[in-house]
Amino acid sequence: MNYILSFLLCGFVCSISQFFLEKSKLTPGHINTFLVIIGCILSGFGLYDKLIEIFHSGATVPIMNFGHLLVVGASEGFNNYGFIGLFKGVLTNASAGISIAIVVSFIISMFFKIKN
Amino acid sequence: MNKKQLIANNNDMNNEEYDKLIKKHIKEENVLKNMIISFFSGGLIGLLGEVLTNIFLKYNNLNDSYLMTFVVLIIIGSLLTGIGFFDKILSVCKCGLIVPSTGFANTMTSSAMDARSEGFIKGIGASIFKLTGSIILYGIFFGIIFGFIRSMIL
Repeated sequence: MNYILSFLLCGFVCSISQFFLEKSKLTPGHINTFLVIIGCILSGFGLYDKLIEIFHSGATVPIMNFGHLLVVGASEGFNNYGFIGLFKGVLTNASAGISIAIVVSFIISMFFKIKN
Repeated sequence: MNKKQLIANNNDMNNEEYDKLIKKHIKEENVLKNMIISFFSGGLIGLLGEVLTNIFLKYNNLNDSYLMTFVVLIIIGSLLTGIGFFDKILSVCKCGLIVPSTGFANTMTSSAMDARSEGFIKGIGASIFKLTGSIILYGIFFGIIFGFIRSMIL
């Protein structure tokens, strides 16, 4: 059942963004940025946790999860350290995604060249 | 004056004919079909994510295994971009690969590979965040704002 639910939500998000990609002049970069902002908003009001509870990986695979990780980190930091914790904690969870993307893409750009 | 009008008329005719020719040869892209395709391709990636999460769940707690899935998809996206296979899949699967974290990895890796020829500092170092920088900037900006709201509300 979890497999079907995660299939449905991930597919739904993808098809909605495909719709906006074709109907407007947005590029994939715009779509990704808007999705991260939407994830931040949903997570800020606690809706994203419920999405993850219901749809499991369907909610954690899209890039919206990146916004959720940032918001959760900032919120935990604020609860633990006060105001400075917002800035201390915003990257704690999302750091894994950013660091691995940087390291892997650096290594790959060393070894592979663009084919025309 | 007459000559000018004549030329203008001729040009208009040419343009109209040109438009007709273009419409004949380019098929109108079917939006609904593309949406269905991206629904299934995106859904398959979500399914793959669920499978990976269940595998990682044997060794980690729940939150960490979600994070591991996110990271593994980034690695897969980067590797496919490096081989040059990503664009071929993208032309078939449409948005299904952009929305999951593979799209994030693809934009970062492709901008790094583009700048490879300009050297390490001014090339890769300067432009690795060319496109993904917007994601990180707005993510952190809105993340701090909504993180504050979240800890006020919850």
